[in-house]
Amino acid sequence: MNGDDSRNRMMIEAEALIKDYGGIRAVDRVSFKIPAGEVFGLLGPNGAGKTTTIKMLTTLSIPDSGRCRIDGFDVVKNPMAIKRRIGVVPQENNLDRDLTAYENLFIYARLHRMENPREEIEAMLRAVDLWERKDSVVGNFSGGMQRRLLLARALLPKPPVLFLDEPSIGLDPQIRRQMWAMIRKTKIEGRTLVLTTHYIEEAETLCDRVGILSRGRLIALDAPRNLKAIVGEYVVEFVDPEGKLRQQICRNPEEAHALAKQRENGVTIRKTNLEDVFIRLTGERIE
Amino acid sequence: MTSEWFPIFLREMILFRRRLLRLGYLFSAMVVPIIYLVAFGLGLGTRVQMAGTDYLSYLIPGLVAMSAMNNSYTWVASNMNLNRVYFKTFQVFVQAPIHSSSIMVGEVLAGMVKGLFASVLIIVVGLLASSRFSLSPLFAGTLLLTCFLFASLGVITGMLAKSHEDTATYSNFFIMPMAFFSGTFFPVHTMPAVIKGIIYILPLTHANIVIRKEALDSEGFLSLLILVGYALCFFIYGSWLIKKYSE
Repeated sequence: MNGDDSRNRMMIEAEALIKDYGGIRAVDRVSFKIPAGEVFGLLGPNGAGKTTTIKMLTTLSIPDSGRCRIDGFDVVKNPMAIKRRIGVVPQENNLDRDLTAYENLFIYARLHRMENPREEIEAMLRAVDLWERKDSVVGNFSGGMQRRLLLARALLPKPPVLFLDEPSIGLDPQIRRQMWAMIRKTKIEGRTLVLTTHYIEEAETLCDRVGILSRGRLIALDAPRNLKAIVGEYVVEFVDPEGKLRQQICRNPEEAHALAKQRENGVTIRKTNLEDVFIRLTGERIE
Repeated sequence: MTSEWFPIFLREMILFRRRLLRLGYLFSAMVVPIIYLVAFGLGLGTRVQMAGTDYLSYLIPGLVAMSAMNNSYTWVASNMNLNRVYFKTFQVFVQAPIHSSSIMVGEVLAGMVKGLFASVLIIVVGLLASSRFSLSPLFAGTLLLTCFLFASLGVITGMLAKSHEDTATYSNFFIMPMAFFSGTFFPVHTMPAVIKGIIYILPLTHANIVIRKEALDSEGFLSLLILVGYALCFFIYGSWLIKKYSE
């Protein structure tokens, strides 16, 4: 999976994907290509179409039009080939709450044709620090433990492509960083990762490239650094006479300092983040 | 493909075993047929003759078929719908590299086990309560076929119902009337001609006809064919619904 050839190979290709729900367009002509080994992020607010895009790529939802391929296989025409290549950590917990952690992984392993998965299950549960709780019913787990188990389950058959839909949603900052460390490890192992998030820091920390979705449309796609460079590298924040927080993006530090001097109190200069890019492109905040 | 269905079946059996240990589950599977057996069978059983036999002996095979229908259907429909709509565990099956027919087989076999479990309890009570009630290969085969048919119908309901409340509505409209009018408690031929025509469309009517036969005559053979036809249609349609599943 390593090497220049494999990295240049397109692992995921989406072409003009469209999905409507009850007359509302959830995904509107979304196209992108993801080379093997890349961590690709879909960033956007709730309802932007991130989860719907993931569902189409993972055979759970059939596109109304457009095409998507994974490792050269068409998702609609050859779903079985796709299912052998992907692991999915869904946004909504779909673990069996009445089964134990071990039973959840065992059933999943057998569904994915692993004949004797006991050793792999033990290794995976140890990797996510849940081996001691292997015989506990999952319904009694905390949110963080359930997210870790979802990740362990998705990685169990060693899929070359991993989809993570809001992998750290609802987690406290410490557990979120543990989750990020696990995700980074899967990248090091050579997997192609697609993750959706509305956490700016998560997208900036983990992703090689980020696609920004707004109202079902992909409005920008590039490396986080390049996206930020498009709008300017610094932001001056100040409180206006009406008490509202205002932000102005500047191309360079000199421009930012000059602008800050014009204001009296409560002025802050900081580096641009992807939310600033989103606000500049859409006029909305990511929430 | 041979064992693709096994993890689906295994999952259901682990959950079933866990629920069996709770007293309420066992009780709920038995309570309705036992009430009917006591109220109609023991109450009327010795005083009323039906189709040339005492009422209790007439009633028991019907209660077994009804119990097979109720339990195979209800557990599958309810579980499938909850797993699909609320718990989302159905996504795990759909995203696994297995065929839709394997999901169907796993769910239907699990539904059959639940239906058979409840039916066996009634059979045991029936054997204790009536000396004229006996088991035959035809009885056992019809029982299996009834469980298969209604578990397949349960998958269809579980896939089509938009909410858990909808599954109860389907049950009230189709399963409940079938339980009362399909020959469980009284012979179908006593009903008015118009209603009889409708009743003969219902699969439980034919299950009741065959399960009461000691040997397969022409009426029984026709009902058996109808049951097999229903079972195949429900199974194929259920598999197709799973194959076409899209969120």
